[in-house]
Amino acid sequence: MRNVYAIGIGITSFTRLEFQLVEIASYPVMFALRDCGLKQVDQLYVANMGGARLNHQTALGSAVVDSCNLLPAGAATIENGPASGAAAIKEGFMAVASGMHDVVVVTGAERMREVNGLEATDFVASLTHPLAEYIYGVTLPSLAAMFTRLYMEKYGVTERHLAMVGVKNQNNALKNEFAHLQQAITLEGILDSEEAFTNNPYVAEPLRFFDCCPVSDGGACVILASEEVAKKTGRPMIRLAGVGQSTDTHAVLARKDPTDLLAVRRAAAQSMEMAGVKPKDVDVAELHDAFTILEIAESEEVGFFKKGEGHLALERGETELGGKIPINVSGGLKGRGHPVGATGVAQAYEMVYQLRGEAGERQVKDAKVGFTCNFGGFGNNVICLTFIRED
Amino acid sequence: MSVDLEKLLRPVERPMAPFPPKYMVLASGENMVVRQVGRKDIPSILPYIRPLIHVERDYYDLVAARIYAELLAYYRYRVQDEYVLVVQVEGELVAVVNGRMVNADVGMSYHTIALRRGLRVGAHAFAAKMEYHFDILNQKEVLIVAESPIGFRRWMIEYELEKRPGIQHELGGVPSYALTKELFDRARGTLIVGRRPVPEDVLAKAEEAILPPSDPPRPPAYLMAAARSEYDPTGTALMLQQWKQEGKV
Amino acid sequence: MEVYAYKCRKCCHVHYPYKMICHGCGENKHDAFDLVPMTKDGKLLTFTIVHNLPPDFEVPTLAIGIVELDDGMRIMGQLKVQEPELGMKLKGKVEVVRHGDYTDYHGMVFYAA
Repeated sequence: MRNVYAIGIGITSFTRLEFQLVEIASYPVMFALRDCGLKQVDQLYVANMGGARLNHQTALGSAVVDSCNLLPAGAATIENGPASGAAAIKEGFMAVASGMHDVVVVTGAERMREVNGLEATDFVASLTHPLAEYIYGVTLPSLAAMFTRLYMEKYGVTERHLAMVGVKNQNNALKNEFAHLQQAITLEGILDSEEAFTNNPYVAEPLRFFDCCPVSDGGACVILASEEVAKKTGRPMIRLAGVGQSTDTHAVLARKDPTDLLAVRRAAAQSMEMAGVKPKDVDVAELHDAFTILEIAESEEVGFFKKGEGHLALERGETELGGKIPINVSGGLKGRGHPVGATGVAQAYEMVYQLRGEAGERQVKDAKVGFTCNFGGFGNNVICLTFIRED
Repeated sequence: MSVDLEKLLRPVERPMAPFPPKYMVLASGENMVVRQVGRKDIPSILPYIRPLIHVERDYYDLVAARIYAELLAYYRYRVQDEYVLVVQVEGELVAVVNGRMVNADVGMSYHTIALRRGLRVGAHAFAAKMEYHFDILNQKEVLIVAESPIGFRRWMIEYELEKRPGIQHELGGVPSYALTKELFDRARGTLIVGRRPVPEDVLAKAEEAILPPSDPPRPPAYLMAAARSEYDPTGTALMLQQWKQEGKV
Repeated sequence: MEVYAYKCRKCCHVHYPYKMICHGCGENKHDAFDLVPMTKDGKLLTFTIVHNLPPDFEVPTLAIGIVELDDGMRIMGQLKVQEPELGMKLKGKVEVVRHGDYTDYHGMVFYAA
């Protein structure tokens, strides 16, 4: 296998974007091409989950490859639920690593605000098991809520811990000009004041409004290339060193232990083993905090903390910017937003940005190893990536 | 003709008890004040509503145009028994709500417009309006309609409003929904919150001046995209683009 | 009305929800499974009260839970219980759980035992 490098990155604002989905997928490609100075590529992957259903747009790959003047490069759309982004990166990785292609563009895009919030929730819920889950009115927040209830019972996580994750990530997002939520929140405002529970109502008990990511539009792009091409760009050499993917039962109820995120553990181990790093070597991480509980649970499963101790590390401030292992300094899904197809790519964008040392206000000092976890379904399809800066 | 036409045109108003100001803490930790304003304050609110007439997102254009007209009608005495509540954070205008008294028992909710998003400001403002009808004016029910999906979700679904198919609402003539005293009491403490009295310094800051909203909803920034018909069903964005070229905005 | 589980004819492994290839023995035949009705009684494993439902539900909130049935199988269902508690005993009934455009979907609804 050849080494694979991330040579160019681009992103749009994550917010409500009143552009065609094709444009949302193309803008980050334009930025990323400018970033690495390339004009021609071999292959393009577009990660997208809801184009057909929400925007009446299929075959995004063909549309984007044309709109970005990349013809006659190969192009395809990758749909893998909320893990579409990282799944497309995995495809790109394999294409370059195998020697088939030298330069692969991976872009992710989603336009979810074209429909109202309830419909968007229903659209994401369509990834659940049609007969064992969906018909009961289950939504992703409700799966997360049932998970949270067990987690609270078993490990002593409280609503305060959840709120702390939300406050940390939403306030991190203030340092990210592309983030969706640009509004500071405080524990007093969402948990302690008399009006807190009106400001922060239940979405699915025990998860509250500020425990859930917003519904966003947005796109992000990462260009992957072989060592030879990467050296020519003259940019810092950021190697995509590890890719791990694992799956679990489609229906959450069929898992032996519903608080066990087996797929996260396996994917993370696979990714880190491939990269030759241990959890303690990771300097900065982007975890899939679609719901605040997931940041706590994933930080344990990937090996940063012992099982059941993620919330204690949070209390100690170890996951803040400047802490032992800063998690979601970009704001994460909670603060940056969660356009489902773009999220996995946006996490990779953040890693490249951090490892290059260009992240400005939210830069993690001397970051050399970056780790992302893109969590599809409710933990039934997880992809973890490990990036290493080579000096 | 010596008849004073203005006397005929101007409705005779019934006395309405004033809304005692209240405050609450937002998710951001800031204090938000809800208070009633009189006619003299309307001219300082209108300039902040006007730009929203060109924001199509979430029906801001429609709501802003109607609320602008309603505030103007209030200011110039062309609507009967109307009241206006403003919501402020550090003096900054974050929401406006209005409505009127139909008769002693029935209220008519007009509009709720939030100038800051993501903090449930609009929901609090609407709740204060309902509180005014039930607790201060002692009415039995309030007729409500929603113009945007957000409104529908906030009022019809969260409060579980009753349908009043036989009664037309003054906004658009569509069948009304109603919030009854019973439904209101059920929402007390969860949807309807707030503290009184407002600390003096907080109230003084609010009364000192109505400051412009810091980040109001705006039309799409990318004007070329907005100029396409799909995004611009009313032609507003196209007009804006033209104004921009002419240096008018 | 019943909600069915799928029992492998060869190794007797019971699946819910349905599978195409047996997870017990890997039996790969188009008629590998017998339909067996799910048990109705069990205890509540976890639950939530959903406040933001998909638009086709006309109720403001809905309780949904995962129930561990007496035979060890797990099933999701709607809860018609005043105050759900973890571990409480429940009794299931098959009822309409969602109205589609032209079809009604049946599923398990649990009541306090």
